Amino acid sequence: MKKISKELLLKAKKNGFSDKQLAVILKTTEDEIRKFRFANGIIPVYKTVDTCAAEFESGTPYHYSTYERFNENISSDREKIIILGGGPNRIGQGIEFDYCCVRCVKALREEGFETIMINCNPETVSTDYDITDKLFFEPLTTEDVLNIVHYEKNVKGIIVSFGGQTPLKISKELEKNGLKILGTSSENIDIAEDRKKFGNLLDKLDIPKPEYGTCTNPETAKKTAGKIGYPVLMRPSYVLGGRAMQIVYSDEQVNNFFRDENEVSKDHPVLIDKFLEEAREIDVDAICDGEDVYIAGIMQHIEEAGIHSGDSTSILPPISINKKNLDEIKKYTKKIALALNVIGLINIQFAVKDNVVYVLEANPRASRTVPFVSKTTGIPVVMIAAKVIAGRKLKEFRLKSFEEIGYIGVKESIFPFQKFPKVKMFLGPEMRSTGEVMGIGMTFGEALAKAQESTGSPVPVNGNIFISVNENDKKPKTIEIINEYIRLGFGVIATSGTSAFLNKYGIKSEPVFKVNEGRPNVVDRIKNGDIQIVINTPLGAESRFDEYSIGWTAVQHKIPFITTLSAAQSFAEGISRIKKGKTEVRSLQSYYKL
Amino acid sequence: MPKRTDLKTILIIGSGPIVIGQACEFDYSGTQAVKALKEEGYRVVLINSNPATIMTDPELADATYIEPINSKYIEKIIRKEKPEAILPTMGGQTALNAAMDLYEKGILDKYNVELIGAKVESIRKAESRELFHNAMTKIGLNVSNGRFVKNFEDAKSFAETSGFPVIIRPSFTLGGTGGGIAFNVEEFETLVNKGLDASPVREVLVEESLIGWKEYELEVMRDVNDNFVVICTIENFDPMGVHTGDSITVAPSQTLSDRQYQELRDAAKKIISEIGVETGGSNIQFAVNPDNGKIIVIEMNPRVSRSSALASKATGFPIAKIAAKLAVGYTLDEIPNDITKTTPSCFEPVIDYVVVKIPRWDFDKFRSSNPDNDILGVQMKSVGEVMSFGRNFKEAFQKAIRSLETGRAGLGTDGKDIYQYDYISRLNTEEKNLLKAKTLIKLQTQRYDNIFHLRYAFLLGATTEELYKVTKIDKWFLNQIKDIIEIETELRSFSF
Repeated sequence: MKKISKELLLKAKKNGFSDKQLAVILKTTEDEIRKFRFANGIIPVYKTVDTCAAEFESGTPYHYSTYERFNENISSDREKIIILGGGPNRIGQGIEFDYCCVRCVKALREEGFETIMINCNPETVSTDYDITDKLFFEPLTTEDVLNIVHYEKNVKGIIVSFGGQTPLKISKELEKNGLKILGTSSENIDIAEDRKKFGNLLDKLDIPKPEYGTCTNPETAKKTAGKIGYPVLMRPSYVLGGRAMQIVYSDEQVNNFFRDENEVSKDHPVLIDKFLEEAREIDVDAICDGEDVYIAGIMQHIEEAGIHSGDSTSILPPISINKKNLDEIKKYTKKIALALNVIGLINIQFAVKDNVVYVLEANPRASRTVPFVSKTTGIPVVMIAAKVIAGRKLKEFRLKSFEEIGYIGVKESIFPFQKFPKVKMFLGPEMRSTGEVMGIGMTFGEALAKAQESTGSPVPVNGNIFISVNENDKKPKTIEIINEYIRLGFGVIATSGTSAFLNKYGIKSEPVFKVNEGRPNVVDRIKNGDIQIVINTPLGAESRFDEYSIGWTAVQHKIPFITTLSAAQSFAEGISRIKKGKTEVRSLQSYYKL
Repeated sequence: MPKRTDLKTILIIGSGPIVIGQACEFDYSGTQAVKALKEEGYRVVLINSNPATIMTDPELADATYIEPINSKYIEKIIRKEKPEAILPTMGGQTALNAAMDLYEKGILDKYNVELIGAKVESIRKAESRELFHNAMTKIGLNVSNGRFVKNFEDAKSFAETSGFPVIIRPSFTLGGTGGGIAFNVEEFETLVNKGLDASPVREVLVEESLIGWKEYELEVMRDVNDNFVVICTIENFDPMGVHTGDSITVAPSQTLSDRQYQELRDAAKKIISEIGVETGGSNIQFAVNPDNGKIIVIEMNPRVSRSSALASKATGFPIAKIAAKLAVGYTLDEIPNDITKTTPSCFEPVIDYVVVKIPRWDFDKFRSSNPDNDILGVQMKSVGEVMSFGRNFKEAFQKAIRSLETGRAGLGTDGKDIYQYDYISRLNTEEKNLLKAKTLIKLQTQRYDNIFHLRYAFLLGATTEELYKVTKIDKWFLNQIKDIIEIETELRSFSF
């Protein structure tokens, strides 16, 4: 076979072939193709988006690449920082990273750097040409970023920690090709992302973590799970937004997991964690400059651990974590951030069970809760982090504590279940929400009521609740919660089992058939408008994956569908607040002055 | 006309949480609007329930309310902040609906607040199917036949006269939730009943289907002096039947003759004048019959839309910003073009490149017992999108595919193909024909990965004609894909 010519390769590039495709076709590597291209001058030029097809002069540096002549991109002598955006929105990576990138750019411009943004998502603010000094509307791949860098002089470095997973995925490749990554080093990012290395670090720091293991086949998985004790959390390594995570209760379910996940291999093992059932989950966003650590916000989730943090309802500041645990959370956050030599943001997830604080995971980058923390507290979290990455120290900022605020913020998630009939709706470790809303108020109840109202399912203030609880939840605590609903004026409709349990405590309820017990059943009653709130707590293999038709009907009829007792309790508080008619509006600017 | 001085405080309504069908494009438009109005010296008050947005950054507006977007809360804000005007055209359907609710509840009158950007009458005319139909008929344009029904019997009587396929669209749902296309009576009954359930007012629109027609969108702007500009013409790669939000789209239009384009342009001018949007941008969708060029007006959004963000990025013309300035009284000739600084905004953008948008889906999050969850139709299912530029369609198209981060590096041949090139080339004629037939059947149903199956079909020997028959994708686009495959094949005869 003849060797490929320069001309043909150029023709391929003019028609959009990537180096990766060419490497597959020509049976070589992406690096080799790139070397060949650069050696032969096959490098794209950058044209300007100027509204007028170059008929009039335009000074706005909004560029795209193409394989032609006449490069219109002029590189100045100023010191530059390149910021990689978040790419397309998807579940697990959305608008919050656009927010982070835009705020980062603003901070770096204030610091006097020339900012260069690379992103390919037309919906975003970060791709607005007047946000950055220079905008490249290009794919976020190693090839496309290296092409851009080729022309840019005096680049201080590249920031990959504000655009979510997207830039992080290519950061090692970029580093290998001579680019300087600003912020936390990729070695330390790797320690945080690699469970074994991170586990060792936690042991060294004497910080508790749930037991875990790694395996590649069902047999070792069952052995490991047996050792740790069911229930366990299983997931393939390196996944975004917890894709394909499952809570597993038995050997049989381990088999099912492997049947569904056929891409498990030596390179992509399955991770197994002890699942801390009914633990409280905590999210922390902090900034570290290598010497000091500033805790920007500690959020408590309403749902118990095991539900993806992106899907849960967060409360800031936390309302029911005791001081001892809070102090431990702060102490562990500082230890971990310093040990990883974090420069910039870090997000750490904790679980509290039986008064013990466990560390679940740490991500040394901007998390999706950063905008929520900023909006609630008024602390410009991204701005501080970006300036720290550019070289400033935390000492130089006037930092207020999130604990000083005298009001509360609640973040709730929005799900697209209506679009996907028959999908199971019980929340789990796989993130499925597309967006979020926030409620802010002087009390938790007010904030929650507003957040709930913003989800579009108005908060019912009268009518009936339907309740079906699992065996574990048949306890006095549940009775307290139900009594609260009764005090608020709600009637109670329950499945036969739950009804009998309530009866024991002297609570009268109207029994109703489960879906398979006969008709009219609970679904019929929801459709007929007899039920205003659904409280259904599943636990264990069977019930968690059962009766999703109740949830589905509730979603269709915009009825709150509550799957945890803690959420049911919070919800009652919200209703009580609304009934007292005490929801006020107040601008963020005036909240911050409180 | 200079800007209005009778207004001091303006309330902008945001679009709330990110949902399928209403995403961060409205953060982009809202942010631009806040900045534009502040630049003009107005006091800007903002409401949005979504904390992840840039527009709710406290440094941006003068007063930022993170509160539920409904009339109850907006009234409280009006009482407190006393705005003279509300700009409801930046926050998608959510903001428009909230504004209409404020009007209907008499709150606008009570506090003497004016809607700017779009008047109640225009919003009504554009959003009510009946009024819109009448308006279009008045100016001599065609609309598709359809009827609103509240029960299955009425729906059935419509279908009996129109024949199948029929499109079912539930009223007042976002992004077409609960809608679909029925090819037979059985599907029709299921879809109508499901649609009635999904609609908060238990009403669906049953409509004759224009499946297979070409689909176009025009992004247009108009000012109080009746100056009119087309910012961008967007062509859908996928024919009618797939929600625009789920379609691959291309700008500028690639397969229209100049005469056809001028017809659409004239129609768009007539529509925006008749509907009466006099201070802002609109998005107008058309269907064009590929056989005879007949034009049907599908709908008009009297506000900034998802496509406006795309058109702004594709052309460099900041639609939301200009729309905000038009809303306070400026005319297009008075506003300088932001990019060139020397030309005015009444110059229509001209582009010398091709832009391709491809949606991004997340179906693997919603695995279920329903195998049709990933079929594309009238209900939008994508969660995001990418756009890319090139000097020709092929370059932009392949760049867009690799922007998606779905592990694909272009149109196939990246090691991720279901049918690898080597596998296909080893098949004998009979096996090839079998697989080709299978692929052609698969292509009859719109799914997110059809572009890759188009490639397999070509590699298996399918002709442009055959593929056009099953997909109704314009032959020009099919030939572009064929070109890409030919270059790939040429490359394969060389070594590195």
